[in-house]
Amino acid sequence: MTVVTAADDVTAGDWREAVRKAASALVDAGAAGGGYPEACVRVVEENGPYIVLTKGLALVHARPEEGGLAVGVAVTRLAVPVEFGHPDNDPVDLLLAFCTPDPDAHVGTLSRLARALSAGLADRLRAASGGSDLARALKEALADD
Amino acid sequence: MALDRQLEILAVCGVGMGSSLMLKMTAEDALRSLGIEARVENTDVSTARGMTPDVVIGQGMHTSEIADLAPVVITISDFLDKDGLEAQLRERLTEQGWLS
Repeated sequence: MTVVTAADDVTAGDWREAVRKAASALVDAGAAGGGYPEACVRVVEENGPYIVLTKGLALVHARPEEGGLAVGVAVTRLAVPVEFGHPDNDPVDLLLAFCTPDPDAHVGTLSRLARALSAGLADRLRAASGGSDLARALKEALADD
Repeated sequence: MALDRQLEILAVCGVGMGSSLMLKMTAEDALRSLGIEARVENTDVSTARGMTPDVVIGQGMHTSEIADLAPVVITISDFLDKDGLEAQLRERLTEQGWLS
C-alpha cells in the first residue's frame, strides 16, 4: 500500500526549502520519520542536483535508513519555481518526494511512476485544478495494474 | 567486434535507488526499441566504481567521475528522454560494433 499525498501552491525561497517542504509532506503523512527532509537536502548537497531528472521536475529522496517508514509518494507544486543549479532542467516547479522502508519495497511504485511520467504525468500534474486534483492524478498514476 | 554475451548496462545516480531506477526503465525501453538484449542495473556512483559494465549511463555530474569505467559512457540530462537515449545508444553501440 503506497501512501500518496499532495500539496499545491507551496512557496519556497530556494531549492533547500522546496526539498524540505516536499519531503515534510511524507513526514506529515506518517510515511517518513522527522529526519527525512534534512536527509533529502543532504543528498543534493553531497551528490549535486541530479534529482532534477527531467525538465522542471525533481525526484526528492534519501536512503531508506534515513527514516523511510512506508512506501510513500508526495507531489508538491510550487507557487514560484526554484533553481537547483541543474545545467539543463531548471527551473523546478514540481517535486515528487518518495520514501521507502527498505531498498526494494519501492521498486514497483517507482516503476509505475516512471511509466506514468513517460506517458505525460508531469503535464497532467501541472494542469491539475488544485490540491485534491493533484492527489487524484498521482493516485491514478500509481494505481496497481 | 560483436559481443557473444548479453550487454551489461549500468544506470548511475547519487543514491542509486530512485533516479537511476527511472533511468534504468528508460534505458530498457530504448534497448527494446533497438532490439538489443541487455541486462540493465542501477546503482550509485561509489558502488559503480567497483563494477565492470559495458555501458554506463548517467548525468554529466556523475559520468565525469567515472569516465573510464566502461568502453561506452553516455551522458544524459533528461532521465525520461527515451528517444534521446535511444539515439545515443544506437550511435555508440554501432561504433563499438555491438549493433549492426
